[in-house]
Amino acid sequence: MIKTAQDMKSYKKQLKEALSDQFLRTALDNFYTAYRENRSAVYDGIDFESIKKELATEKDGALPYLEELYEEFKVHAETAGAKVRIATNAQAANEIITAIARENNVKKIVKAKSMTAEETFLNDHLEKEGFTVTETDLGEWIIQLRKEGPSHMVMPAIHLSRHQVGDLFADVTGKKQHSEDIDQLVKVARKELRPTYLAADMGITGANFAIAESGALGLVTNEGNMRLVTTMPRVHVALVGYDKLIPDLKTMLRILKVLPRNATGQAITSYVTWIKGAVECGSSPGSRKVMHIVFLDNGRLALAKDPVFSSALRCIRCGACANVCPIYSKVGGHKYGHVYIGAIGLILTLFYHGIENDRVIVKNCINCQACREVCPVDIDLPHLIKKTYRAVLDQDGKTPAKNFILSRVMKNRRLFHFILRQAHLAQKPLGQKGPMIRHLPNFFEKRHGFRSLPAIAETPFRDQWKNLRKPVVRPKYTVALFAGCAVDFIYPEQAKALLSLIKGYGVQVEFPMDQTCCGLPALMAAEEATARDVALQNMRAMQPENYDYILTLCASCASHLKHNGLKIFKKDSDRLGKIKEFSDKIIDFSSFMVNVLKVSSEEFKATHKKVAYHAPCHLCRGLHVTTEPRNLIQLAGYTYIRSKDEDVCCGFGGSYSIDFPEISAEILKKKLDNVEDTTAELLVTDCPGCVLQLRGGMDKRRGKIQVKHIAELLAETVF
Amino acid sequence: MPDSELIQIMKQRAETVQAIVSKITSMAQAFQYTVDLTQKQGGKTVVATGLKPDQTRLLKTACETADLELLEFPLKYHAQGIHTSLTPVDWGIAETGTLVIDSYSEDVRIATMLAETHIAVLPASKIKPDSESLEAELNAVLKADTPSYYAFITGASRTADIERVLAIGVHGPQELHILIVEEAPQ
Repeated sequence: MIKTAQDMKSYKKQLKEALSDQFLRTALDNFYTAYRENRSAVYDGIDFESIKKELATEKDGALPYLEELYEEFKVHAETAGAKVRIATNAQAANEIITAIARENNVKKIVKAKSMTAEETFLNDHLEKEGFTVTETDLGEWIIQLRKEGPSHMVMPAIHLSRHQVGDLFADVTGKKQHSEDIDQLVKVARKELRPTYLAADMGITGANFAIAESGALGLVTNEGNMRLVTTMPRVHVALVGYDKLIPDLKTMLRILKVLPRNATGQAITSYVTWIKGAVECGSSPGSRKVMHIVFLDNGRLALAKDPVFSSALRCIRCGACANVCPIYSKVGGHKYGHVYIGAIGLILTLFYHGIENDRVIVKNCINCQACREVCPVDIDLPHLIKKTYRAVLDQDGKTPAKNFILSRVMKNRRLFHFILRQAHLAQKPLGQKGPMIRHLPNFFEKRHGFRSLPAIAETPFRDQWKNLRKPVVRPKYTVALFAGCAVDFIYPEQAKALLSLIKGYGVQVEFPMDQTCCGLPALMAAEEATARDVALQNMRAMQPENYDYILTLCASCASHLKHNGLKIFKKDSDRLGKIKEFSDKIIDFSSFMVNVLKVSSEEFKATHKKVAYHAPCHLCRGLHVTTEPRNLIQLAGYTYIRSKDEDVCCGFGGSYSIDFPEISAEILKKKLDNVEDTTAELLVTDCPGCVLQLRGGMDKRRGKIQVKHIAELLAETVF
Repeated sequence: MPDSELIQIMKQRAETVQAIVSKITSMAQAFQYTVDLTQKQGGKTVVATGLKPDQTRLLKTACETADLELLEFPLKYHAQGIHTSLTPVDWGIAETGTLVIDSYSEDVRIATMLAETHIAVLPASKIKPDSESLEAELNAVLKADTPSYYAFITGASRTADIERVLAIGVHGPQELHILIVEEAPQ
């Protein structure tokens, strides 16, 4: 049975168990790396970005007409001998299918994999009603025997080792199994399940597509069990989510270009099958299959009309959002979803399985944007996860203390900055002498000690600005520097490095004093009203019309300021123009240096020190800036050394690393291990948040590799 | 695209998913291939769909000579005992090495699902470059008012459900052989 944590304390306990499960960790690590390699190979020559946008538009276009598509589908399918009906909720679906089984005097049922049937807990229901149900997909059969839920939407038993499967199969067959040999284990399933198909009275499947124009179902599979389930028994019931309705075959063929590629790294699965109506069936009286199709609503039709969440219904269940998620890769699907797993699971659980199953897990998103990038139907998953969290808070009618304080403080810049200044004084009794705090005070729990923390700067950048500002005669560019909290109060030296680098380029830098936090932390805590308030403060402070660029050294601030304002003010037509102007002026450090100032290698002395690079999530995925920083490292006279998984999150995620330190620490460990596996002497990145995490982790492990912001790196070799 | 190039792509893509591809010029060769392979694998039974009566006689003779049994329809009575199936293919899709088979007939389904080894005969003239170029043909079948069961088959059945290690031959055929006929079968 699925046991999704319903409170944070039990969730933390579950996470701890998962993190200390060595097999799980190895299996997930291998999967994480292999998936990303396979996937990029199989997309060679395919314009994924264009297909993704087109599919999003097509799926969205169909959502308002789901009921019409249903009617069209029903007419065609019934003409060909199927019976089609709607189940309003999970219970209704299970009862309808039970009734069909009874009417047809069914005793034994075989099932092909169906997430929709998992959603309704159909097996439990049928077994209670006295039917024998056998799952025939290998992974589903394994978890059925183990009485577990799936840990992945495509590979339900990915959490298990061959030895665990071998032991299980030894119990099933009464014979010892050579569990080293996966081929042999697979043959056990083949042999054991063959007679089951032949003896079954009814087969149950889901469907990947329900094509309205023809009334055909489309099914995408690999093992061949679904084909047997729909062939041997005399009755076939397909349980299909309402969202699987698509207008035509053309749409299906387009989705088919990305579904197998994203799901399993295959150009196409072994089998793609279209089934329409009551096909030939020798074991059925009348020689025609008894064919029923049940469309499950269970909240989908309401979701289709929801202005915020309707895009979640674009999902084609490829499972890729789990495959690329750094958190999933550490804790696995049983701790990262309820029935639906991964980023989409954190969203859909609220709608299909209720607030009690989503309340805790929905908080576990680091906002690294990896899922959004891989999603073949362009669902803005991290955004919807925060919206889901907001919906959870609203339904509960509670404001967590953290949110209350955060909103109160962030809305008031003076108060916020006052607190940050006080923090400098507060750290003094901790015996802080250098730039790092190595031993946290006792009120922090031990699990927070995975990294040293930076000391708050003695003098924030804003207080130094008066002395740093240099007037430029006839400037080529007028640039507003948006410092962000980390640069302003922790790392003013990063901004000073920037100032030293742009001397002589005719850049007039201004530092508008009323700027405050970018607002991303508020959005991460689902406090959109606060984020909105802060965005307006920044817009007033920065006055975008006065500048050619708004430059920031922080990838997270940059990505937030560039994209999220447009989302927050989407419906505020009075302000949207100004927000757009603000957004258009945002530029990150590397892009500014390479694309605007066009710095050349002649301005730097060559050192040939070896430098590894960490691509901040909000730079490489948030702003799609990937080549500029790498070029910049080389322009500045360093040797760039590629390390494994450069574009994978460092585990910081702002307050994520405080809320989930145990996961943050594991993601960080992997990141630093990968860097230490190279010959690099330095590790650079373009985000002060990542610097905080990486430098803190490197310091804690007494690593030799120095961590720097890329601006600091350049400042060391510039002539 | 010239036919030879399409055939080449079809062959290469099918081979990347572990199909075994050969070129033949007559159905007689297909029968011989079937008999030889079945014997080599130690199989005892053969089924064949879509043959004309004289072709069936020819295959039956070839089987008997080699001490193999050509099973009679309906195949549901032999569901547990089919070693080799020989079936025609309606279309090929070069881009993915895919076979397209109209599987409305239960015998075709059983032959392509329950055999240990599936041998598929694909006329070279029926190879299309990609799935889009088959859309009209496929829709003509699906949009008809009659029931249908249509299948794309690409390689043998497979799974990666245990430790994400690829294993070939789960519930469907363990081997897929494709015989591309460069002249239309007689």
